[in-house]
Amino acid sequence: MASVFLGINDRTFTYSFTAGRSEFQGTGFRNPMDFTLGPDDLVYIVNRSYESRSDGTRINVFRIGEDKEEYVTEFGSYGEEPGQFIWPMAIALDKDINLYVTDEWTHRITIFNKDGEYLSHWGTHGSGDGELDRPAGITIAEDGTVFVVDSRNNRVQKFTLDGKFLGKFGSAGTANGEFNLPWGICLDKEGNVFVADWRNDRVQSFTNDGKWLATFGRPGTGGDCSIAKEQGGMAYVQVPVGEFNRPTGVCVDDDGDIYIADWLNNRVQVLTAEGRFITEFNGDAGLSSLGIDKIKSNPDMIRQRNGVRDFTPEKVLWAPCAVRVDHRGRVIIADTTRHRFQIYQKNGEPILV
Amino acid sequence: MSDQQISLMAHLLRRAGYGASRDEIEARVAQGYDSVVEELLTPGDDPGIEEDLMYRAYPSYFDKAAIETGQTEWVYRMINNKYQLKEKMSLFWHTILCAGDNKVDNARTTAIQIDKFRDMGMGNFKDLLMMLSTDPAMLYYLDNIESHKTAVNENYGRELLELFSIGVGMDNEFNYTEDDVKACARAFTGWNLAPTIPVFPYGRTPFEFRFDPADHDYGEKTFLGETGNWDGGDIVDIICKQPATARFVARKLYDFFVADEPPVPSWRLSEPRDMDAIKQLEKAYFDSGYEITAMLRVLLNSDFFKDEGVHFAKVKSPADVVIGTMRMVGDHLEPKPGLFFVAMEPKYMGLDLMNPPTVEGWHMGREWINSGSLIDRINFASSMLGNTELPGVKSMINRLMDIGETPSSEQFLDGCLDLLGPMDLADETRGQLTDHLNAGGALKHGTEVEQTEFARRTGETLQMIATTSEFQFS
Repeated sequence: MASVFLGINDRTFTYSFTAGRSEFQGTGFRNPMDFTLGPDDLVYIVNRSYESRSDGTRINVFRIGEDKEEYVTEFGSYGEEPGQFIWPMAIALDKDINLYVTDEWTHRITIFNKDGEYLSHWGTHGSGDGELDRPAGITIAEDGTVFVVDSRNNRVQKFTLDGKFLGKFGSAGTANGEFNLPWGICLDKEGNVFVADWRNDRVQSFTNDGKWLATFGRPGTGGDCSIAKEQGGMAYVQVPVGEFNRPTGVCVDDDGDIYIADWLNNRVQVLTAEGRFITEFNGDAGLSSLGIDKIKSNPDMIRQRNGVRDFTPEKVLWAPCAVRVDHRGRVIIADTTRHRFQIYQKNGEPILV
Repeated sequence: MSDQQISLMAHLLRRAGYGASRDEIEARVAQGYDSVVEELLTPGDDPGIEEDLMYRAYPSYFDKAAIETGQTEWVYRMINNKYQLKEKMSLFWHTILCAGDNKVDNARTTAIQIDKFRDMGMGNFKDLLMMLSTDPAMLYYLDNIESHKTAVNENYGRELLELFSIGVGMDNEFNYTEDDVKACARAFTGWNLAPTIPVFPYGRTPFEFRFDPADHDYGEKTFLGETGNWDGGDIVDIICKQPATARFVARKLYDFFVADEPPVPSWRLSEPRDMDAIKQLEKAYFDSGYEITAMLRVLLNSDFFKDEGVHFAKVKSPADVVIGTMRMVGDHLEPKPGLFFVAMEPKYMGLDLMNPPTVEGWHMGREWINSGSLIDRINFASSMLGNTELPGVKSMINRLMDIGETPSSEQFLDGCLDLLGPMDLADETRGQLTDHLNAGGALKHGTEVEQTEFARRTGETLQMIATTSEFQFS
């Protein structure tokens, strides 16, 4: 029986490599919640870690090169003093390469320069204009407008770089333009705002000034093709909208394709600008460069790995929190619970896989 | 509603859960005892907490890199699971079907076993034993991975009989022989684990069960008088139909929920504390086809459970102390920093969750108390109850203010004891506390200054009650 696809699937992605390893300090990550892309292939990563190993709570900087990663530096620490954070959640970069880190516990935005020196912080707890209750995702527009997902206030707020309130949109609810504990945020190249509406299991897009544009997805675990009807020996396959289970991170590439970290479905989905499902990444991780270094220094690990017949559990994504597309067309996924990044290449032309 | 109803409901919620605030106790009394019991016995399939919110705040709970993370998650669930009996059953089975992460060294594998106890703990005992016999943490902990057709390791087979199901003996008779142990162990050869992906470089992967037919002893075995080519499933079938198994489960339930029994190894010679109660539970075991819920239904509705003589007759386990206090003061009812430090408290008091001292588990009852643990128990409870900013303590202060404009010291103390139990104190202790309150002057709360002082004295009184011997009992 032949199939007719009602959607268009003309993108191909190929797994490229895996970066990083599990480390509380230095050359690895511990629960990377978010990251932002800087110049020269630099990536700035928010590591959450956990209370009994708060030494793993930090920002670190890596260079994601052509086929391997390289540790650069790290800074920040666990705590409530200036320059510290308790539940760091997301990170963004301004044009001067200053870093803005949200903290869902202290309700503030902490700013570092590119060398990791603490500059300042802003944000006070509350629900009034300019006040924050669990700031999650953050992104900064070309003009320096800072968009902060004000999660427990179920809104997005706009600020100047030094924290002056500019505007807000959104409220609690399930209708278009409303949120339920939103998380991630990004801008497309036109400056439209995309928000991962976490507990509504969907992504919404808005104009730069907060006018609702579209809603993508619905609760569920599906999203791949399903047979809608059969007629005359042909199976007409409908390409449904994506289905999400607590989407966390979102980004849009220059083609307008939307990438969503589908947290509890342990995958990243790709939708067209119109919201049609293109594909999903479930994970293909191999050993990273740093991972190989670690294993080589532990002969017991080599022996153990040699006895394993099925590495599938190690390959797959586990509660990924963030996704970005870099200037090389690489889809970089924060594989949060595996403490690494999985990297795919979006190919300019379809290739035979 | 009567004091007796409040007292009985508080007893039920302490034993079949980790206690409740006074507001909840009163709401449950209004609901009715029978209805509450039935609700406890029929939990939903959902986790009983908002897991998505928990994982958002604590993403490390997914992989549980360290046992402390698993312990912390479990404590969060204990505090917040709306299905309190279901949650408490996970601890009940953990104290009996013991595996320890100190040997397993894979916290997620160990935690998955606890999850199974939570999910299956009120189900069928046969299903539970089958789960246990294929549980990777248990197979590793009791060396079944080293048990081969040609070289049998008897550790799991022995403990399955001695500590997990039948017990050494009852009514002055032995329940099984050394040959039964050998046959049992042979039946579980080949029940093994798949090779596991090691911890480096991406963190731990949980162990997985694997049956290796080439390593299984398919030969004939005689077990508890029955002969056949038994495998592990047959062994579990034979175990479950033994009267000694009914006695074992009955005494364990009675020990955990009603009143302290001696440790299992002494059961051959020690009669149950209440044989009539045990017989009722044994009957429920067989009548229901080994259903734990059926036994709990009999137990929680029984006169022997409701009897005031067993109220406050059990020494609180460290979990009861810590979780009960947290639920009373209303802290960590949603994710927040600091939970790790709360979650380590049971360990400091002698209950290192997921790390039993031996396969026999913990000696409970009075053995929870020693000079070190007593100090920890008192310090923890009094530090929480003395924090007048915590919502549960604030609620108590408001209730005490409702007694009257200027309650007497006796009224005030009775009010505190009522909210912490309701519980009672020895006359001498009561007298000392009353004297202390009298020395502090009138308990007014008309002005803002008086309210602040009233709150301070409430916290102080609650702290002093937490230091009494009576507070150590559940």
